[in-house]
Amino acid sequence: MSELVPQPRTADDPAGAAPAETVPLLELAGVRAGYGAIEVLHGVDLALRPGSLLALLGPNGGGKSTTMRVCAGLHPVSGGELRFAGRKVNGISAQDAARLGVCSIPEGRGIFPNLTVRENLWAATGTGARLEDLEEKAYARFPVLGERRRQLAGSLSGGEQQMLALSRALGTDPAVLLLDELSMGLAPMIVTRMYETVTELVAGGLSVLVAEQFARAVLPIADTAALMLHGRVVAAGPPGEIEDRLSSDYLGG
Amino acid sequence: MTTFLTYTILGLVLGSVYFIAASGLVLTYNTSGIFNFAHGAQAMFGTFLYWHFTERWGWPVWLALLLVVGVAGPAMGAALHTAIMRGLRGTADVTKIIVTVAVLLGTVYLAQWVWSPDEAHTVDMFFGAGAKVTVAGVVIRYHELVCLVAAVAIAAGLRVLFTRSRAGVVMRGSVDDPDLLRLNGHDPERAAMLSWALGSTLAVLAGVLIVPISGGGLDANMLTLLVIDAFAAAMFGRLRSIPRTLVGAMVLGLAANYVLAYLPSAGTFTGNLRVSLPMILLFVVLVVLPQDRLRGAAIRTRERYRVPTVRAAAVWGAVLVAVVYLYSLLLSDGGVSTFALGMTFAIIALSLTVLTGYAGELNLAPLAFGAVATVVAFHTGVEGTGLASYMSVRGLLLGVAVAALVGGLVALPALRLRGLYLALATMAFGEFLSNMVLRDTTEHELFGFTFTLFPDGSLVVPPPKAGPLDLRDGTTFLMTATVLFALIAVGLAALRGGGYGRRLAAMKDSPAATAMLGQNLVRLKLSVFMISAAIAGLGGVLMSAAHGTVAQESFSFVGSLSLLMLVVVAGIGYISGALVGGLLAGVGASVLVATFGDLALESEGMGNIYDALGHLVLVGTALLGMGVGRNPSGFVHDVIEGYRAMRGARPLLYGAGAFGAGLYLLALTGVIGTWTFALVALCVIMLLPVLGRMYLDEGRRDRPTPLELAGVDEPYTEELRARLDRELGLPALGKGGAGA
Repeated sequence: MSELVPQPRTADDPAGAAPAETVPLLELAGVRAGYGAIEVLHGVDLALRPGSLLALLGPNGGGKSTTMRVCAGLHPVSGGELRFAGRKVNGISAQDAARLGVCSIPEGRGIFPNLTVRENLWAATGTGARLEDLEEKAYARFPVLGERRRQLAGSLSGGEQQMLALSRALGTDPAVLLLDELSMGLAPMIVTRMYETVTELVAGGLSVLVAEQFARAVLPIADTAALMLHGRVVAAGPPGEIEDRLSSDYLGG
Repeated sequence: MTTFLTYTILGLVLGSVYFIAASGLVLTYNTSGIFNFAHGAQAMFGTFLYWHFTERWGWPVWLALLLVVGVAGPAMGAALHTAIMRGLRGTADVTKIIVTVAVLLGTVYLAQWVWSPDEAHTVDMFFGAGAKVTVAGVVIRYHELVCLVAAVAIAAGLRVLFTRSRAGVVMRGSVDDPDLLRLNGHDPERAAMLSWALGSTLAVLAGVLIVPISGGGLDANMLTLLVIDAFAAAMFGRLRSIPRTLVGAMVLGLAANYVLAYLPSAGTFTGNLRVSLPMILLFVVLVVLPQDRLRGAAIRTRERYRVPTVRAAAVWGAVLVAVVYLYSLLLSDGGVSTFALGMTFAIIALSLTVLTGYAGELNLAPLAFGAVATVVAFHTGVEGTGLASYMSVRGLLLGVAVAALVGGLVALPALRLRGLYLALATMAFGEFLSNMVLRDTTEHELFGFTFTLFPDGSLVVPPPKAGPLDLRDGTTFLMTATVLFALIAVGLAALRGGGYGRRLAAMKDSPAATAMLGQNLVRLKLSVFMISAAIAGLGGVLMSAAHGTVAQESFSFVGSLSLLMLVVVAGIGYISGALVGGLLAGVGASVLVATFGDLALESEGMGNIYDALGHLVLVGTALLGMGVGRNPSGFVHDVIEGYRAMRGARPLLYGAGAFGAGLYLLALTGVIGTWTFALVALCVIMLLPVLGRMYLDEGRRDRPTPLELAGVDEPYTEELRARLDRELGLPALGKGGAGA
């Protein structure tokens, strides 16, 4: 797989060749996926441009989390195409996707509760990063993690756990970051701080796909937004346009 | 003082070996979430290999040790993981347990096949039994020193592995969340395989070390159970902590040796106590363990069962009674009593259906409750003497009541805990019973009564008699057992359909949600466990009566396990699963093995082949059990689903019915033999759904063209070319290409 698909690294030279600008880093074309006999994604189209933040919005049960799992390689695609940097990668395994630079933070804290903070960062080095770099970046950004490096991650507060999860994105230098429901169960102040960090990452050239139920948290920082209803993307465009549609679609759709 | 020191050293040595075995268990449990009941069997198999290399082939010890511990152990673990264990993610606890139990049974059968249990196999100590040093008057053999050093090295090594290496950290993470591990770029299956290889190596090492300490005699069953003693040590560390496991193992080893040193050696009591000490400690640890937190989420598993209606159960019960009666007409007297034995096993199997199938709890020793009921019934219910003796209904009922009571007592301490711990508690009880009660042949005096629990090591249990119903006659016994089975089955169907059954199902799916609805979980579990123990007790007394004479072996742990395994294989959520599993356990394997044994004795030239076939049947049943991981709902489920799909194929059903009736008439008139009839009927029942599917599938369309055949027998279009480009990962020639 790794010979077939070149390592997409865009953070270093944003003013690279022209095709890099036009070819989306991550693209879904008519993607269908389901659980057993029940199909939940009926042909999803999405494109994540390099260096941008795409917000995937929609109510519960719309298929956001399944879309994120498909992008991360955790869920098989039953129809359509999943493309990384223009190459079809249907059926890619999650560990291959991770090594290609897709960092995914799943719904509900992407941490190992029975490992310490430091061991969690250690586990995050599976994609080739060095533990020292990871620790340095994580503790510099979130000093509280440095204080608790020997504590079990499961005993941290919800916000600290999410910081730890986000540290993986900080330290491993991925090309694409997938965030699923970052705000889940967190205080509004913590959510704001989390998204500030995400904004800085995007400014540094990272491409981010955020699935979020609470549109208000993410719309202000998004470059593009897509609205997902009943397993389909019903609208995509600038955040302002989508925001106008939100209330009618959430309530009426 | 020297005595004390000597026994202390011996205790520490035994403790070291227990620790080595237990640490392997903790390792695999922590990385794959599977409690490996086959751990002891792996140890046993490795030790037999070691014996084969050193004694049979005369290789030097270092080479044999290198091959067994360095190559065979890891290979065995890795193979187990690849072939079986990795398929167990997302299955219920019972499936996981049963698959490892099947591996245990299969390995034991295989070992008994390769290394005949009739020959003596002995393993020497390293450096020989004579190599020793004397410290402060205490003699220590080199072998014992090796054990101590190995245990310390392994304890330190595991600690370093788990906390100071990335591989160890990843292993620990793989239990928490294998998917998250994938997102981090690791392969959780590789971590799990590594841990299985390591665990298996530790098991093998423990086996090679423990056999010379415990006498040098190598016996497949005994060695397997010896390592099961290490379960208790693992439980000290709550299956998680390596240091606490070390402490537990040492306590266990020391206690076993102090019992031997300081308790009176008269009678069988001390010996029995020493053997069952680990199980007693296991039970105590389970009682002391703090309560588990209720997990919030519902437990999602792959097993699916359909709930029977009472009417359907009644109709099928009547059909069963009729079929059994018709079939019994074909059988000889011997055949009828074997069939009756199978039916009593089916009744015991029903106790598992209600407990495991409906409530999701586990009992690894159903036969032990049968033994309790039998002992009680024997002491209270036998009336008359000699050939005229019979078992009174009072004795039968009393036995059932005591079995239920004992079931409640056994389950009570473990009810607060998760399913696995209850399973271990029942296992500990089964072992305790078989070692302490069923071997208790000495006289006791209690409250002025003089009695012997198990006189002469065996009980002669006469057939029950109630008024005009005398079960001395084989056919009467068979029909009574069948009717009882049908009645209990209808009762269970009613139970499952009622409010109580729905509460059980709710508890099985989500204990937390059930508790929040105001249900008393402990009362639910306790009551269902008592019902189950009562049914097992009834079946047990009938089984003893069908046997005529029972001994400790009739209620063995291995027997319980293979019954449970076969019921799960058949489908533990179904009453028909209990019937098939019970018949298989009671009749199937034993009849087949006996038939092949007879054939082997009769024809000398073919003797080896028939002998091998007999062993193959046993190993085959275990293989069936390992297949449970792939099909956790059981094969009865598949057959039923097959027939359900066949409703549209009426002509086929009628044809098969007519064929069956004709076949039966032929058998009744003696044109074809009973065996032929049974085999042909079985084949028809199994093949009918397949035929039905073919019948129904006629005229269905085939699948879309695979990529390599695209364009071969259809016009090669632009669209097709674009599809090929996409599938091969070539850059598209459309908009993207034009832009560049």
